[in-house]
Amino acid sequence: MTAHLLIVLPIVIPFAVGIVTLLLRKKPQWQQWINLVGMVSLMAVAIQLLYVVHTQGIQATTLGDWPAPFGITFVADHLAAIMVLSGALMGVAVSIFGLGDMDKRRVAYGFYPFMNLLIGGVVGAYLTGDLFNLYVWFEVLLIASFVLMALGNTREQLTANIKYVAINLVSSLFFLGGVGLIYGITGSLNMAEVATLLAEIDSPALITTISMLFIVSFGIKSAIFPLYFWLPASYHTPPPTIIALFAGLLTKVGVYALIRVFTLFFTYDVGYTHTILLWVAGFTMVSGVLGAAVQNDFRRVLSFHIVSQIGYMIMGLALFTPVALVGAIFYIVHNQLAKTNLFLISGVANRLEGTFTLKKLGGLYAVYPGLAILFVISSFALAGFPPLTGFWGKLVLAIGALETQEYIILAVALAVGMMTMFSMAKIWMYGFMPGTESNREAGSTDEHTLLGLGNGTATEPYVKSVWVMYLPVVFIAALIVFVSVFFGTVYDVTEQAAIELLDPSLYIDAVLD
Amino acid sequence: MEILLSFVVGGLFAASVYLILRRNLVRLVIGIILLSNAVNLLIFTMGRMTRGEPGFIPVGEEFPPELIANPLSQALILTAIVIGFGLLAFTLVLVYRMNKEGRLVDSDALRAEEIDPSVYN
Amino acid sequence: MAILFAVFSGFVLSLLAPFLTRPLGRASGWVFALVPVGIVAGLGMHVGAIAAGETASISYEWISITPFDVTLSFYLDGLSLFFSLIVSGVGALIFIYGGGYLEKHHHLGRFYCYLAMFMASMMGMVLADNLLTFYIFFELTSFASFMLIGFNHDNAGSRRSAWQALLVTKAGGLAMLIGFVLIHQVTGTMQISEIIQQGELLTGSEFYLAILILVLGGAFTKSAQFPFYFWLPNAMKAPTPVSAYLHSATMVKAGVYVLARLHPALSGTPEWIAIVTGFGAVTMLVSAWLALQYTDMKSILAYTTVMALGLLTMMLGVGSEIAIKACMLFVLVHALYKASLFMIAGAVDHGIHIRDVTKLGGLRYAMPITFGAAVLAGLSMAGIPPFFGFIGKEIVYEAALQGGVAETMLAVVSVLSNIALVAAAGLLVVRVFLGEQPEATKKAHKAPVALWFGPVLLAGLGLLLGLVPGPFGEYFLVPAVAAVAGEPVEFSLYLWHGFTIELAMSAVTVAAGVALYFGWDAMRRSSIAKAFENGFGAGLDRGYDHTLDGILAFGRWQTRVLQNGYLRYYMSTILSVAIVLIAVSFIRGEVFAWPAAMGGIETFEWVLSGLILGSALGCILFSSRLAAIVSLGIAGFAIALMYLTYGAPDLAKTQFLVETLTVVLFVLVLLDLPNLKETASTFAKGRDALIAVGVGGMVTLLMLAALTIPFDSNMANYYAENTYILGEGRNIVNTILVDFRAIDTFGEIAVLLVAGFGIYALVTLGRSDDEEPAPTTSKETA
Repeated sequence: MTAHLLIVLPIVIPFAVGIVTLLLRKKPQWQQWINLVGMVSLMAVAIQLLYVVHTQGIQATTLGDWPAPFGITFVADHLAAIMVLSGALMGVAVSIFGLGDMDKRRVAYGFYPFMNLLIGGVVGAYLTGDLFNLYVWFEVLLIASFVLMALGNTREQLTANIKYVAINLVSSLFFLGGVGLIYGITGSLNMAEVATLLAEIDSPALITTISMLFIVSFGIKSAIFPLYFWLPASYHTPPPTIIALFAGLLTKVGVYALIRVFTLFFTYDVGYTHTILLWVAGFTMVSGVLGAAVQNDFRRVLSFHIVSQIGYMIMGLALFTPVALVGAIFYIVHNQLAKTNLFLISGVANRLEGTFTLKKLGGLYAVYPGLAILFVISSFALAGFPPLTGFWGKLVLAIGALETQEYIILAVALAVGMMTMFSMAKIWMYGFMPGTESNREAGSTDEHTLLGLGNGTATEPYVKSVWVMYLPVVFIAALIVFVSVFFGTVYDVTEQAAIELLDPSLYIDAVLD
Repeated sequence: MEILLSFVVGGLFAASVYLILRRNLVRLVIGIILLSNAVNLLIFTMGRMTRGEPGFIPVGEEFPPELIANPLSQALILTAIVIGFGLLAFTLVLVYRMNKEGRLVDSDALRAEEIDPSVYN
Repeated sequence: MAILFAVFSGFVLSLLAPFLTRPLGRASGWVFALVPVGIVAGLGMHVGAIAAGETASISYEWISITPFDVTLSFYLDGLSLFFSLIVSGVGALIFIYGGGYLEKHHHLGRFYCYLAMFMASMMGMVLADNLLTFYIFFELTSFASFMLIGFNHDNAGSRRSAWQALLVTKAGGLAMLIGFVLIHQVTGTMQISEIIQQGELLTGSEFYLAILILVLGGAFTKSAQFPFYFWLPNAMKAPTPVSAYLHSATMVKAGVYVLARLHPALSGTPEWIAIVTGFGAVTMLVSAWLALQYTDMKSILAYTTVMALGLLTMMLGVGSEIAIKACMLFVLVHALYKASLFMIAGAVDHGIHIRDVTKLGGLRYAMPITFGAAVLAGLSMAGIPPFFGFIGKEIVYEAALQGGVAETMLAVVSVLSNIALVAAAGLLVVRVFLGEQPEATKKAHKAPVALWFGPVLLAGLGLLLGLVPGPFGEYFLVPAVAAVAGEPVEFSLYLWHGFTIELAMSAVTVAAGVALYFGWDAMRRSSIAKAFENGFGAGLDRGYDHTLDGILAFGRWQTRVLQNGYLRYYMSTILSVAIVLIAVSFIRGEVFAWPAAMGGIETFEWVLSGLILGSALGCILFSSRLAAIVSLGIAGFAIALMYLTYGAPDLAKTQFLVETLTVVLFVLVLLDLPNLKETASTFAKGRDALIAVGVGGMVTLLMLAALTIPFDSNMANYYAENTYILGEGRNIVNTILVDFRAIDTFGEIAVLLVAGFGIYALVTLGRSDDEEPAPTTSKETA
């Protein structure tokens, strides 16, 4: 397989699957399996891509074989390849979970096509080397997420979706405005060329000012303080499959974009731009975790935690050292694993007990020890308990903060780690611990409710067995353990990503030479 | 002309922001449509403007005339217009659907749907 | 090999135990105890070599990355051997005891699982030679403890205590972790055996005080020092085997172990002496007397445990050889009598479900063997010769007097604390087993063998070691003290020291303790005692609650303010942030610039511009739906004309088309929508207008500044030059769209596709007319 094909395939596969499943609208059963095959092949290609990038350096290709800045370039560096792979892993897990969670009507109305186009958009955003093309992928993933967010049309989904849609549209338009301004001063859209041309412009302050548009627009997408409102306003409404997908992909694309532009373009006034990011990171962590600590609903706790965890990633970017950037990237991967899995677990719990309300859940520990173990692995990983992934992520970030003598952010990060522990333990304390086999408040026995179909618009899923929902949860938990144990190897790969990011000439040369 | 358009775009931004801040969801949608137009005009301005010379290569020639309008910014805007239309059509129907669902076109009325009373009492 | 077995066998057992418990039935505890017994045997083989001054270690590379290395390395010296033998030895007895205590519990398998995990983590911690490996095991003990304290998961008190213990120890653990990272930065190594060679480097470093405070944060929370000790008495909600193991003999000593382990590297400075000794002394004195404010056997035991931890810390703070000796000796003294007394309290509780000493009495006939063990343990606790506790107390007094640190004060504090300890021992033994037997306790019966085996063995050991302390001193204590002191030491242990001042202090202690025992009821009821308990006992616990409540109240407030549910506030916040960021960057960078004039402006261009802005204003001002939409359409058409004027006919066409479609769509939808009544107050309108003008102004300024940069038309020219030659098209824009940048167009089509199907789903899926009607239907539509 040539490297050129390898870069494009991760985008082609989900789009092809998306279109095929769309054509097979009347055969939802087929869609499920085609989708699964597509996701697994995406994962395989992503592994291969990361391997090639790791062994042979940054890969770039321009479609239609136009010379580099004129056609649209796709670039796979370590960061992009890592993001594609972890995104693909989430896709596989969520696809399996969906078999048991997505109801027939949502499937009939195009869940699988939309999901594939969403992933296609996400992967396209990771791999593209063209600024305007990045906007296009963002819009693809955005419209797919709009539809998925509303899919099912329950009242709460609809009312949450309008906030989600409105704020994200504004964000996209700010982004597009920023692209326009960058185009206006460089005359180019190819990111590598833009990076070289920006260096020749005599007014770094103007570039820095334009960068604020990107902070705002990508900041909204990655849900940083104080721009995150759309996320807690909407993430508790769609079915767990969809929200797990969102948790694994959407905000992370925003963070990816922030990392990309604030390492490749906007490095002219790091003392200013990255200090802003550092403050933002601190407030994001604190505000998110405080929001999470006071919630009483499984999904709402997790939603606010997404915000809080984004803060750690931004912190790594803001510190802007090799170690800190490794921390940021590793933290993205860790968070995708842990957070997606927690949402999936909330879905399993909902299936078993018919509710997301913590106090009503109760008794999971006594009756479902397997689920309890899976929850403990994922939640303690999220809370940074050693030796799980979150611990390594926080440790690396802490070293980054110590090296740059940013003691305040270090203290904030640690305190937020404590509150994360607190709120994860809160889920455990209310959702899992109380109640024994005999005396717990009996969960709903009505199968309709047990399947989480209380809203009257939904029907049952194609696979009724709860084991198909357990499978991906076990898969991700195993991945968490695997990454924890082989942290050294993962670090080495991630370190390459950080080295590339801090030396943009590597990226530029790979594209333009 | 670019200078004048800078002010026009600024004005359009201002108008659309004001609309976006209204409670009524219909105004919000109008605001976003206007904003979308404003951003397109921004790109147009940024690509610099040339009066009257479209980017056509006359039959029999291999190159266009010396002075033509920037074709790249036009191509970008074209894409952006269509994408914007797709998104806005969806948004508009979403508002329509919410109206069907119970006249939920006042964004303040959506507050009750979002918050968890056990936290906000 | 023995070291590997010591660390990992427990984890294997932890995995297997849940599945083996049922098949093994009543024998389960005894069978599982074979694992720790095996550990003791394996490590026991090293005793001779360690006593001879050797060390043993193994190391496996695990993570080796740029910032640090984590090796799975374990190190056996006098200190780690001493602790690991206590952990595994007591562990074996706890498995037996726990098996009997929880025999009928349906989660017995899980209990063994956590217990084994805890033991293994503890072994890993005391044997670890790498700071991060150490830390990982340190935290794993917190986790196992969390599961064990919350073992009675249906009890709200258990849950709260588990949560509290986890948070308090985790907070300290995080501080300690940062301390470790700083140690690594100063010394360049993570290996503890190397770090303790570099004491001078550390104490001389600019980070020393930070390192010290951070590490102490971890040690003090874990080892329940003032003011963090409140979690430990609460942790008594755990089943008694857990209390006996974790919260007396092992886990709570982890903090002390940290201090002892790093003693050669961090000790000896004025800061160390002042902080460690001070906190230790306060903890000891306060908790010893707090113990007497309670009537629950486990609470008394818990506070006397805190007292012991304070004593150990204080001794490490003093840090002289004799003090270290006192510390190490007391670790074992305390483990022996405290574990057995806990198990005895558990046996009583298990038999008659009463733990209140005021309601107990005369159990000597009903539980004779337990009574015997209780007497032995109690005498050791009270420090009566010839028990081991006597030697321990003598050396503590000696260390206080000769330690070279605030001698008088430490001596007084030690005596005062030990007086309370004597009285507490009386409460636990005399009060419970002697005297009259209340009616409620009549159903007491002889404890099964599993419940007295451990106490008897440990309490017996307390007597044996008191009578023959020599070999223990030579083989265990001397190497341990040498390891803590960081240099070879030499001494022997004797029961009888002759008539010394320490002996006199002991006599005073016992006499006063006995007197206190008899005056206990009166003392406990005094208002001073109650105020004391309210302040230092319940008070600190309340402080924890208040802190948490405060954080949560703040959390609720900020969540209500930020995530308030109003879309327009979300939008105005976002847009205000944008304005501020851009404005500040503008002013800071002095970016303001006015581009040179670019071509003239013709009249109709003025008109067009005016039309665009005017109709935009119309969208705001018209309250009629239709008028607003028409305004919007006019703005769109005017923009299309603008495109047309500037050489973009394709653009203009598309804009016309899209604008028409939008208006049509709007009109279709509008039939159902209510009118656009403006309800905002004048203030709100003004505020919004300000934000609007701000955003608009920023955009204009940005554009003007950007226009001053000469445009690089290289890329645009390329398309012009190559459209026909390479792209074989004549319309440059189209060729860009379908050829040069075809992927954009592909994405564009994808957006339309998804939007189309999305709209379809939106309109048809779950329509309220084919399901039950929505809460309010559109009856009042105008």
